[in-house]
Amino acid sequence: MSEEGKSKKENRVAEFFAGIAGFFKGFGEACAGGDAAVKVSLVVAGAGYFARKQIVKGILVTLLEIAVILYQVLIGFPYIGQLGNLGEVQRAQVYNPETMKNEVNDYDNSLLILLFGVISLSLLAVAIILWMANVKNTYRIQKLAQEGKHINTFREDLSSMLNDKFHFTLLALPVLGIIIFNVMPLIVMVCIAFTNYDQNHMPPAMLFTWTGLKNFRSLFETSLTMTFGYTFRKILVWTLLWALLATATTYFGGIILALLINNKATKLKKMWRTLFVAAISVPQFVTLLLMRNFFANAGIMNTVCEKIGLTGLLQNLGWINTNYIPFLTDPTWAKITIIVINIWVGIPYLMLIATGVLMNIPEELKESARIDGANAFQIFRKITMPYMFFITGPYLVTQFTANINNFNVIYLLTQDIYTTTNQKMSASFGKEIDLLVTWLYRLTSEQYNYKMASVIGICVFIVCALFTLLAFNFLIKGDKEETFR
Amino acid sequence: MRAKKTITSILIHAVLAIMAVVWLVPIVWLIVTSFSGFDGMNTSRFFPETWSMRNYTRILFQSDTVSQFPVWFKNTFIIAIFTCLISTSFVLMVSYAMSCMRFKGRKALMNAAVMLQLFPGFLSMIAIYFILKAVNLTNSHFGMILVYSGGAGLGYLVAKGFFDTIPTSLREAAYLEGASEARTFFTIVLPLSRPIIVYTVISSFLVPWTDFVFAKIILNSGISTDWTVAIGLYNMLQRQLLPNYFSRFCAGGVLVGIPIGILFIIMQKFYVEGITGGSVKG
Repeated sequence: MSEEGKSKKENRVAEFFAGIAGFFKGFGEACAGGDAAVKVSLVVAGAGYFARKQIVKGILVTLLEIAVILYQVLIGFPYIGQLGNLGEVQRAQVYNPETMKNEVNDYDNSLLILLFGVISLSLLAVAIILWMANVKNTYRIQKLAQEGKHINTFREDLSSMLNDKFHFTLLALPVLGIIIFNVMPLIVMVCIAFTNYDQNHMPPAMLFTWTGLKNFRSLFETSLTMTFGYTFRKILVWTLLWALLATATTYFGGIILALLINNKATKLKKMWRTLFVAAISVPQFVTLLLMRNFFANAGIMNTVCEKIGLTGLLQNLGWINTNYIPFLTDPTWAKITIIVINIWVGIPYLMLIATGVLMNIPEELKESARIDGANAFQIFRKITMPYMFFITGPYLVTQFTANINNFNVIYLLTQDIYTTTNQKMSASFGKEIDLLVTWLYRLTSEQYNYKMASVIGICVFIVCALFTLLAFNFLIKGDKEETFR
Repeated sequence: MRAKKTITSILIHAVLAIMAVVWLVPIVWLIVTSFSGFDGMNTSRFFPETWSMRNYTRILFQSDTVSQFPVWFKNTFIIAIFTCLISTSFVLMVSYAMSCMRFKGRKALMNAAVMLQLFPGFLSMIAIYFILKAVNLTNSHFGMILVYSGGAGLGYLVAKGFFDTIPTSLREAAYLEGASEARTFFTIVLPLSRPIIVYTVISSFLVPWTDFVFAKIILNSGISTDWTVAIGLYNMLQRQLLPNYFSRFCAGGVLVGIPIGILFIIMQKFYVEGITGGSVKG
């Protein structure tokens, strides 16, 4: 990276912290310089607005304040208080002398404590920031009033939400949705990586608690009883190899197919394109489940291979020692089959994209190259490919991370069919053909080993984040946002 | 020279024909098996020995404990409609804000969105399951709609890329005429964005039909009338059910595959524009 770029980046970090410092400074100024109404608004949030005759706004803000306080006192604080140890009272049957029966005691549920504790804590942080921003805002209005400037009425405030503050209106619901369905769950899952939440510590019957970095250590450990380290290494290597192969094969395959279809000599271009698109337009779960039965040990592909003598040939070569080809049941064969099937799934998509890009390569470029005496291959290598890379670079990066997370292909092709014979792998519930994400899924849905699953999830994030950062810093430069306006 | 050209042409067509056959074999197998008179999987021959419409009549009109296709279809359809409405509006709203408006924290929000998408989806899925369970929304279609559309705002990049190509001058003219930001959004930008709206509508409509994992995690009660098409059909291929249900699975696959296929083919040209992010100058 150039010096200029570096200093620009540092500037941005500095700006960020300066922004935070400015926020607190503004709050301090508001507290010091505010009049009585601003000071009262430290307690009653709407006070500052009431003083400037912004009655509706004042009532709304105060109601919101009351709601937040009520929630925190009644629900939030009890949960936040228990976050420290995630609950103490285990569920048990207690004899109740009044009813003369065994009853379930008032037990703690660690999961609910973690869930609502984290949510309430985040809500508390947001509430404090809003409270400070509100005090600052009332101080701003006080200044406006002192300078004799116009203060917005409620109606004007509303209409500004459709005008210069329209982005608030637009973003409010989507961002709320993202916070509830992406951010909060992620925080909770990251927290679970630091607990002992597994099969032996399942709420509501049992409690779980914080264990620090123990799970991360056991991910790299291999002993007689613990084989997570071994399995993790193996699966990580396969995941990266898979992502590389899957991305590269479909990328170049797609480009070649697009070149074939768009060749000047090709007739009925549209028909060919539609044929390949038809293949991927059927939902993946249908085609993948079909493929898995197509390539089953007693499936139709094996019948065909036997008829044409391929099975016998492979037996003679010593490549297989069964009387069928173990397309999806032998580690090596399964890996090859999965990659081949993924080529089938992926190439039409890439063909579509490559077609779009190819049609937009300026014809003059190719023409002048031809006049200079370049042959077809040289044009492909020197003009078509660089152009292709330039346009599809970002897509290639996202495609690589998408393949690291490619759950469908692996799971639908091998679930219930592939069993591992590797003792060390099966001891940690992994299989040779598992990606990190399918291993993660199996750990949760079959073993209830949530702690290790979230550790693996964090590892997937680290791998994807590292790769994306490197790729975007070194391969793809520049912001194309406003180039074509 | 001429002969060479003919040979290239023949070669290209031969390669394309072979590839097309390879790509169509599974689809053809799906269709012919759905008309098979045999319930299980025929492993010795590609085309069925006897032909019949039985699989279709049974899957459409004779539901049993395993096969509830009409109910699954209805469930998925309802979920898809609502998901489509919510997701499309979320995506368009976020895209407009990110593309056409300049405000404090815009870049920061965009960077945060990139970071969020690097986490594997399942990781948050497990916690979403717990959250939905705490408010009693697992095994409900409302819960599924929330799961599919809640985080939809994150998928704004494609639509933003499209909005980025709409000339700023059009919007500036509207502001000069005194139009508010909201009015500009509804009367200037949206009418110009038909292709990207079609793309967003179709792609979000397809999510519940093609998703398998999330539905399996959230709708885990084992009551088959709650399921979506994907889990229902997946369930038919359990080892003990496969001999009786394989050809019905194929019929079901054809029945969902055809409408989805048509939608996908409509969408494909927008798909390309979407991926190349409007950076391809038309």
